[in-house]
Amino acid sequence: MSAATVRRVEWIAVAVIAFALIVLVPLLHANGVIGNFWISVFGKWLCYALLAISVDLLWGYTGLLSLGQALFFTLGGYMHGMYLMRMIGDLGQYKKPIPDFLVFLGWERLPAFWEPFSSFPFALTMVFLVPGIISYLFGFLAFRSRIKGVYFSILTQALTYAASIMFFRNNLLLGGNNGFTDFKFILGYKLNEPGTIRGLYIATAVTLLLVFLFCRWLSKTKFGLVQQAIRDGENRVLFSGYATAHFKLFIFVVAALIAAVGGALYTPQVGIINPGEMQADKSLEAVVWVAVGGRGTLLGPIVGAIGINGLKSWATTAYPDLWLIILGGLFILVVLFLPGGIVSIPARLKTLAQKLRAKPEAPAPAKP
Amino acid sequence: MLAAASALLVSAVRAAPAPSARQTIAEAALAEDAAKKRELIGRLLGQGDPAIAPLLEAWRTDALFVLTAPDGTKIPVQLTGEKDAAGTQSALRVDTGAPLADAAGQPRRLAAADLAAVEHTSSLRRAMKAVLDLADLAAPDPAVRTKAILTIGLAQDAEKLPALVARLGVETDPGVKRALRESIAIARLKDADDAVKLTALVELKELTSLASTDFISRALKEAETAEKPVLVKAAKDALRAVEGHRSFVDFFGTLFRGVSLGSILLIAALGLAITFGLMRVINMAHGEMIAVGAYTTYLVQNIFGAGLTIPFFGFSLPIFGLNLTGAAYQWYFVAALPLSFLAAALVGIGLERSVIRFLYRRPLESLLATWGVSLVMQQGLRLMFGANNVQVSSPVYLSGNWTVNDIIFGWNRVFVVGFAILIVFGMWLVLSKTPLGLLIRASMQNRAMASCMGVRTERVNMLTFGLGSGLAGLAGAFLSQIGNVGPSLGQGYIIDSFMVVVVGGVGSIGGTIISAFGIGGIDQVLQQYLPTIAPGLTWVPGIGSFLQNLAQDAAVFGKILVLAGIILFLQWRPAGLFVTRSRNLED
Amino acid sequence: MNNKLVSLLSAGALALGASLGTARAAETVKVGVLHSLSGTMAISETSLRDILLFTFDEINAKGGVLGKKIEPVVVDGASNWPLFAEKAKQLLEQDKVAVTFGCWTSVSRKSVLPVFEKNNGLLFYPVQYEGEEESQNVAYTAEAVNQQATPAVDYYLAEGKKKFYLLGSDYVYPQTTNLVLLEYLLSKGVKLENIGGGFRKDGSGKIISAGKYTPFGHTDYQQIVAEIKQFAASGDACVISTLNGDTNVPFFKEYAASGLTAETCPVVSFSISEDEFRGLPAKQLVGQLGCWTYFQSIDTPANKKFVADFQAWLKKSNVPGLVKEGRVTCSPMVLSYVGVYLWKAAVEKAGSFDVDKVRAAYKSGISFDGPGGKVTTQKNMHVTKNVYIGETKADGQFKIVKSFNNVYGEPWLKGKFK
Repeated sequence: MSAATVRRVEWIAVAVIAFALIVLVPLLHANGVIGNFWISVFGKWLCYALLAISVDLLWGYTGLLSLGQALFFTLGGYMHGMYLMRMIGDLGQYKKPIPDFLVFLGWERLPAFWEPFSSFPFALTMVFLVPGIISYLFGFLAFRSRIKGVYFSILTQALTYAASIMFFRNNLLLGGNNGFTDFKFILGYKLNEPGTIRGLYIATAVTLLLVFLFCRWLSKTKFGLVQQAIRDGENRVLFSGYATAHFKLFIFVVAALIAAVGGALYTPQVGIINPGEMQADKSLEAVVWVAVGGRGTLLGPIVGAIGINGLKSWATTAYPDLWLIILGGLFILVVLFLPGGIVSIPARLKTLAQKLRAKPEAPAPAKP
Repeated sequence: MLAAASALLVSAVRAAPAPSARQTIAEAALAEDAAKKRELIGRLLGQGDPAIAPLLEAWRTDALFVLTAPDGTKIPVQLTGEKDAAGTQSALRVDTGAPLADAAGQPRRLAAADLAAVEHTSSLRRAMKAVLDLADLAAPDPAVRTKAILTIGLAQDAEKLPALVARLGVETDPGVKRALRESIAIARLKDADDAVKLTALVELKELTSLASTDFISRALKEAETAEKPVLVKAAKDALRAVEGHRSFVDFFGTLFRGVSLGSILLIAALGLAITFGLMRVINMAHGEMIAVGAYTTYLVQNIFGAGLTIPFFGFSLPIFGLNLTGAAYQWYFVAALPLSFLAAALVGIGLERSVIRFLYRRPLESLLATWGVSLVMQQGLRLMFGANNVQVSSPVYLSGNWTVNDIIFGWNRVFVVGFAILIVFGMWLVLSKTPLGLLIRASMQNRAMASCMGVRTERVNMLTFGLGSGLAGLAGAFLSQIGNVGPSLGQGYIIDSFMVVVVGGVGSIGGTIISAFGIGGIDQVLQQYLPTIAPGLTWVPGIGSFLQNLAQDAAVFGKILVLAGIILFLQWRPAGLFVTRSRNLED
Repeated sequence: MNNKLVSLLSAGALALGASLGTARAAETVKVGVLHSLSGTMAISETSLRDILLFTFDEINAKGGVLGKKIEPVVVDGASNWPLFAEKAKQLLEQDKVAVTFGCWTSVSRKSVLPVFEKNNGLLFYPVQYEGEEESQNVAYTAEAVNQQATPAVDYYLAEGKKKFYLLGSDYVYPQTTNLVLLEYLLSKGVKLENIGGGFRKDGSGKIISAGKYTPFGHTDYQQIVAEIKQFAASGDACVISTLNGDTNVPFFKEYAASGLTAETCPVVSFSISEDEFRGLPAKQLVGQLGCWTYFQSIDTPANKKFVADFQAWLKKSNVPGLVKEGRVTCSPMVLSYVGVYLWKAAVEKAGSFDVDKVRAAYKSGISFDGPGGKVTTQKNMHVTKNVYIGETKADGQFKIVKSFNNVYGEPWLKGKFK
């Protein structure tokens, strides 16, 4: 097959999957074939796929293993969650116009920083702004002093750890370890209506498609090429006259924004956001999805996120004792024996098949 | 009711003007009301009857029982002597001290299991203690004396004051003497006479007694309301002196706590300094190596004790115990140290052979693979030892403390500090004075060159990783003495360990040492002093009260500040405190 | 796609199962069990699954509920709160369970609450919690703050304690409990300067939080213990601890090492039951206090039978992953057990499994004589029960030193004590 055919096959595959996810699944849900349960589970997995893409953009394409993507994901979720909390209105446990945990902490009026979150456009802006600014500051400091490789990983982990300790506190006025839950409305629609659930799902699937297309486009531009060159040999890129720190900073912020969007879509579909989501393990789990799916590709993270979460849904029911061993074992095996992940299997099989096909010919004496 | 009646009967029959101490105790044992019990015990105060102490001691240790006779009368008895085959012991009547006789007049033997032990609550025990305290004033052990003296003093019990004063006349031990002066002064703060109060305040000022703070404050308030300027001034002076002493104690206490936390961080991070620092392997399973060491300690403890059974994937692996007791059992910890090292080293070598050796050129992948290993090991430990934490008891020589000038030095902490020094010294010996150390250094500096010179780098890698893991195991043995032993034990230390190594400078053992003590010290200083600066933070516009509240939660905020500090520190020195010089561009 | 295949297959399997099982379905009623069987909370929650399975077997052996055998559907929340919500949806929307027993942490309950409210399900929640909640879809058999924390304070006050140090893990339950306790202590005449641990105030100077807090997984209690030692130096002090799980070990080890004992300054812990005790250094805890609505050491025939039956069931049961040795019973386990029987009684009173009817019956006030004494349901979905205070012993059991009978479960305590 020529490269052009490969590309065409790929595009067809993407189109088919996109059609299935964006049109078919909602149709089936509308007709009652897929229940509310499964469609919201699919929605959750697609949010995880967004998180996986953000990890892959850094790790697979730029060689930066960030263990802090869950932080940005959760921050996005919190920003949207604040809007959703405001939309509960006075339907909470205390029947007061401010969130329950604030009533309990003795607040009678909304703290000032909560006030603007009643507006959806503002919350949406914050979904981008807060993770964007934090990732920019952290990235600026880290890349300026040329922190890279494992140091970068460890530092991002430390950042996430510090943030999670912070968010666990009640006095941050963001709900402590219970986080935000019990959402009722989004943009005036009741969150537990099948139509709303479907709408959120479609929004997630469309976002995923757009992010996918954007990343695909980005990786083909000159910028994308520089990015991959940084992964393969940063010093050479540096010596060629590129300010690698700027490239890395840009991609770090973009990845943080993608994760944040994932988190923002995640909150209403799952119905809860709390600091447990930003613990170091969650970032590492997202890395597992990418590694298993196939890093350095865009389909890989999506396949990995959905595949592993599907496995988790099943294993935590069937073999709760063995789930961690399955996850850990899978990871070790993929790192050792299948660095390309699941999406590399067809190519591997093809090479294998070629080898096998080549074998019978082997005895034939080489032409002189 | 019945009990009270029978007690009355007893005293009526004897027609004694005052019941003996034994009778009082018997009556208290039968009393149904807790307050009544306390009141009766209180009557024993100051009685010199030698029977009191052993009886109350028996009561406290559940050796006092109530026997219900067939006719319904209840007789309090004390069981003493050796148990025979049937579990029975000889029984003594509490009220008379005579052996309990059956109908034929023969002494009866009773089994503890058949009787109801006389109950005691902590308030009752405190009442007993008050009685025993006076007896304890002459106890041979100075620690017991001190405790008894302070109990009396803190209760400001004027009735017992003469006993204390009398004791002060004969006491020779300087520590006990100080406690006596402290107690007498505190008790005298309640005195009606202003002159006595004044001398007491002066005395407390001189003693800088921490225990007296609340009492002096109370005396100060009284003096203020009574408008007695002399007393007010004396009380203020005393308070100032005590507060001065308190900041002295806090300062040196913090210093010691910083050193001790630093030692723990150092011990936990040393293994990592080798595997990560020298070999550049990111071993996320380092925490689980620590856990392996801790569980080995737990195993050894059980082997010295009664043994245990480990369930493992449906199999049961019985491990026999030596059933040691007393001093021999206490040595389990010493035996556990080398075994913890060995166990973790073996697991480490296994890990190196099976996974890590394929990843030497791919550090990020080694991070990921070892994280997988860490998950598998955690769940493996959970399946073997249960999800619950396991109990590791501290040997006697590690439980207790020295209190010097009100600063507490826990033995386990002192031991950890000493041990950290020992390990560092040992490691320095191994790395710089042995042939293995030479090979390790050679391979780590330039693997290819070392290999060319005939060094079997494969083997050196394996041994180095084993050494690093073994040190983690040793850390586990120690951490079992101060923290919990559970499947996720390692998770609590992994991030800290990495921070220590990164800040110290990868590849520099000296840097690791300095950074461990630095981080430990800063953490303790923040924990101690953040709340004191908290009120000063209100001036920050907008988030003033938020910051102030955050600073109040020093344990939480201290941790956040340390992490933030580390991130900023690495801006300034990206390669840590001590940079290993290298001409390699990628280093 | 992978996931769709799974769903199609499972849907097919369900359909098949439904057609085969119609005859059987008439005789069974599906009941959900939603606990973490893996992850950090598995430590505590696995025991609750075990006791629930035991209870179902016990009820089934006596003929079931309304003539139907209980068929448990056990799912694993994996200590992952969003997964709890997912599993709750699965139980209610796919398996259509009549009732669910589950959750341990507050956040897991908060996470599933909207799911239960939306589907009008019924959840029995068995673990001490911070209150300030009263959902029509949750039956709280759990201890409310006034069934644990305030009785403990009453006990301390009766013991003549004058100084109280509040210590907890930094999350909602300890923060809430300590705020309620602060109001309670002040209402009892304890002076503010005798309440230790520190206060946090808002801009206007109003106290919004009291006590000392440490993060999850904190291992270094040196400074805090030194502070408590100074706090307790003048006598009559005690500690009220809401530290959770793992952090208790380093705390108590440090506490003992500094020379503090139960006699000089006792600690009452609200999160240590017999089950947690298995991993704690027993020697260092002797004499410290616990406060629950049940202790294994309760000396009644009903409790002895319960303990013996459970041990016998453990021996013969073949549930995979069941730990059989060294097992104990504790308050959350008993409240799970009691919950099943209360539900059974409510169903029988209602004569139906319909949630609305069962709830109405439940709120009408039904009683059950459990291992910890009589429990009675209340209109506010909580239960009235006995409260016990126990001193820990070296064998990991509690010696009961005080009991309060028929304490009304009150979830709304903030602002109650003035």
